[in-house]
Parts: sequence; C-alpha cells; structure tokens
Amino acid sequence: MLAVRITSLSKSFGKNRALHEVSLDVPPGSIYGLIGPNGSGKTTMIKSLVGASKPDSGKAEVLGLDPLLQRWELRKQIGYMPQVPALYGDLSARNNILFFASSRRIKDAEERVTKILSFTGLSDRASDPVRTFSGGMQKRVSLACAMIHEPRILFLDEPTAAVDPELKRKFWELFRKLADSGVTIFVSTHLMDEAMLCDRVTILKDGEILLVDTPQNILAKGKMKISFVRSGEKQSLMIPASPEALVIELQKLGLGNSVSELRFESDSIEEVVLSMIQKSR
Amino acid sequence: MQTIVIATRVIRQLKGDRRFLALSLIAPLFIIYFLKLLFEGLQPEPSPMPAMPGMMRPVIPVGKFMMPAMAFIVHFLSFVLCTLLLVQERTRGTLERMLITGFHKTAIIGGYTIGYFGLATLQTLVVTAEAIWLFEADFDFKSLTMLFLVVWILSIVSVMLGIFISTFARHEGHVIPFIPMILLPSVFLTGVIVDPDKLPGWAEFIGYLLPLRYANNIISRIGEANFTFVDALPDFVILIGYAVGLLFIASLTMKETE
Repeated sequence: MLAVRITSLSKSFGKNRALHEVSLDVPPGSIYGLIGPNGSGKTTMIKSLVGASKPDSGKAEVLGLDPLLQRWELRKQIGYMPQVPALYGDLSARNNILFFASSRRIKDAEERVTKILSFTGLSDRASDPVRTFSGGMQKRVSLACAMIHEPRILFLDEPTAAVDPELKRKFWELFRKLADSGVTIFVSTHLMDEAMLCDRVTILKDGEILLVDTPQNILAKGKMKISFVRSGEKQSLMIPASPEALVIELQKLGLGNSVSELRFESDSIEEVVLSMIQKSR
Repeated sequence: MQTIVIATRVIRQLKGDRRFLALSLIAPLFIIYFLKLLFEGLQPEPSPMPAMPGMMRPVIPVGKFMMPAMAFIVHFLSFVLCTLLLVQERTRGTLERMLITGFHKTAIIGGYTIGYFGLATLQTLVVTAEAIWLFEADFDFKSLTMLFLVVWILSIVSVMLGIFISTFARHEGHVIPFIPMILLPSVFLTGVIVDPDKLPGWAEFIGYLLPLRYANNIISRIGEANFTFVDALPDFVILIGYAVGLLFIASLTMKETE
C-alpha cells in the first residue's frame, strides 16, 4: 500500500491558485521531499493530506484513508509538524508534549515523553517554559509533539527553516533513522540542498508539479564543466552531468601524458532546479 | 477526557498570565469606580435657590441604572477577553494543531468553557462586591444571591458568545468590528441607559434578541421586596438557553478545514 496517493488535486483561495491538478505517489518508509519556492503550494498540499484543507477537486489518500472522511482513523496514524512551532509558551517542553499526546490514549505517555526529550536533546530544559527557548529548540519541541505517538507517517512543513546548520544536520539524521525504521517522512522545504537528502522529490512551482524524480536523476539533468590542460594549453567543455556522459567524454578525450590538469564542476541541485523553474516561465 | 485536558491547560494559562488576570479582575474595578463618579456627577446638586419650573436637572435612579451598567461591564470584558484568547489560538497555529492531533472541536469548546468558569466566577464575585459596596446597595441575602447568579450566568453567556464569534475571526483584527456590532446595541437597547419600554417597537424587539436584556430584567427588579426567584425564573431560563444555544452553534461554526 502506498503511504500517500494524490490524484488531480486542485485548491484555490479566491483567485489565487494554490494547487492545480497535482498527482503523486509516495512509497512507504521513504523520505519524500516537496521542494519549491515560497508560495508554490507546499503547505496547502500538506494541509490537504492531514485533513486541514478541503480540496476543490481531486482526491488524496493517506495510508489508504481519506483525510477528510476518515480523519479520526487517520489522525491516530500521522504526525504533523507545522511551519510555525504552534506550542504553548507558558507550558514547559514536557507539558507541551504531554498536552498534545493526551489527544490520544497513550498508556506509557510519561515514559515516552522522557525518551523523546532525550532523543531530541531537550532533557536538560524539559521543565522550562517554551517561551524561553530559542527558535531551534522550539522546533525540536514541535517535532517531539509530532512524533510522540509513533506515527506511521510524519508530515513536516519546513522543519529546518531558520534552524542552524548543526541542528539541521541532526534533524536529517533523525529523519533518516525514522525512515530506516519504516516511518514515511513527507517533508517540505524551500532549501534546495535538502533535496539531496531525500529518496525522492517533487518540485512544485505555482501549484503545479515541475518534476518528480530522485535527487541523483535531477542532478543528472544539469551540466558539468570539464576543464583540462593539455600540452600546456587550457581547454574546457560542457557536457550533461550524468555519469554515462562523463565516461563517454573522457574516453573521447583520451587521458594521455599530455594532460597535466583535469577539473570537473557540476551544477548544484539548486542551480538545476532554478534553471528548470526559469525555463518553465 | 480531552475536555478536561484542555480545561486544565486553559486554567494554567490564565493563572500564568498575570497581565491577563489583572485585566480581567482589576480593570472592571476601576471602570465601576469611574461609573460611580459618573453617576455622582449626574445627580442634581442641592441648591438654596428654588428651582425654576421646567429647568430641573433629572434625578438619576442609581439603583436602576448602576447595576445594569455593572452587568454590561462584566459582559463586555468576558466577551472581548475570551474571544481574543481563542483567536490567539488560531493565529499561533495551536488550534489547527489541536484539531490535526486528534482533539475534537466539541472538546476544545467544552475545555474553554470549563476553563473560563473559574475566571467568570471570580470576576463576578469581585465586581458585584465592589458595586454593592460603592453604591451602598441595601440588599438582603436573597437579592445578593440573585444578583451574583444573574451576573455569573451572564458572564458565562459572554464566554459562549466569545467562543462563537471567535469562530469567524482569522486574526485579532477581525474581532474589533464585532465589539461595537454586538455590544453597543446591548448598551442602548437593553435597559442600561434607557428603559426599553420607552424605545420604539422595532428597537425593543432587537433588545429582546440580546442576552443582556434578560439579565437586566432581573437586575432592575432585584431591590423590590416582593421579587422572588420564581418571578426571575423565565429570564434565568432564557439566559441559560442562550449559553447552551451559543455553545451548540459555536460547535457547528468552528471550522476544521480551510
């Protein structure tokens, strides 16, 4: 069974089109990235999947359930981390997690909270009010709230926005660990470098899907510059950034003693995606 | 269970927010004191000169207008503060998160209602005690009980009204237009300033739609010796009906999706 299936989903807010005829499938136990600039429809898509937004047309299924008609059954199995921390500043980290955990019947809630606080590195500040926390720490509490009931799918809306690089790395390590244990991670981001950390990504622009592929295949759609010095003369050529194209070009070049220097410069995923977005205009 | 969890959180939040508590409990005390100053200023001064015919300053029956004005202050503050707190839940994203996490909207509304019960009770106690002391109202135990009960139920109705109105507001700014739209007609048409019997028929009819009218029906007669709980019962029932009705409507209008 697919973790998520979206078929021709459309949603508008007045005259603004947030999503238009979007379709995608997400396999279970993977990290699925939703990449796109601000306003591309990422949040609307996530809200449609967690049952917080009613689509104008089309269909969404999460774990085979309709997010609106079967929302009570679905909400037991999903975790949701919104873009803003959405926490109670006057409550401690522990009490925030316990509060959101109490919406479901979790037998060993206290024990689980202690574990998750340690897992997210918040044990030392567990009793402090969340309003005294930095933005990054609030994100950790927010993530803990989304994970406390051990959901089968985690919907994360820009979890690493405004987070320092160290914490960002820890978050992604955690996502990978969860995915390896069978949890599906559906994560949105506007940070293109994070696309490389996903198993598969969808690039959204103005509510439409530009591309669905693995990050490696997306990178291969970019260009690679080969620079070399042969017999003292500098030369360069541009080739597609795929490994196959590189092998062919290197065979053509023939690496003899006359080549004294060889360099490769590939487009970053950000450059590839931006050029796709520009071409689509 | 969910209702109790939310109620506990609301009570904890109210206890922890000192500014909010001060605004809820101390601000009405000041306003009622200002009200006393206003009524004193409106009383005719004793004059050694005989009054000219037709030039008499009106005598303000303090007992008749002071207590309804006090009830209006409780109504106003409970409504505004509860609405703002619930709208804050929406703007901070916690309301949406609660719903997606699995809290039922009826549990959220119920939790808020229970959470506010304590504050409404405290507010009613403080405000009625000050009003009785300041205006030297000579009420017996029955009248005092009736006054406390009616103001308390009114504050609960105001909380329900706040919960209901908050379902239409996406941010705090949306609450502002509702304040004059809903509360000012209560001042003009329910007996706070003018006796409703002296209003044109259509205005009196609008007054009947407002909960403060039924509270004032009771409050304006509390001092009367032969006014009993049985006489006040229809108005009490209507007020409780407003509370239950608004609670029901709010659970229908609270949106779970956008």
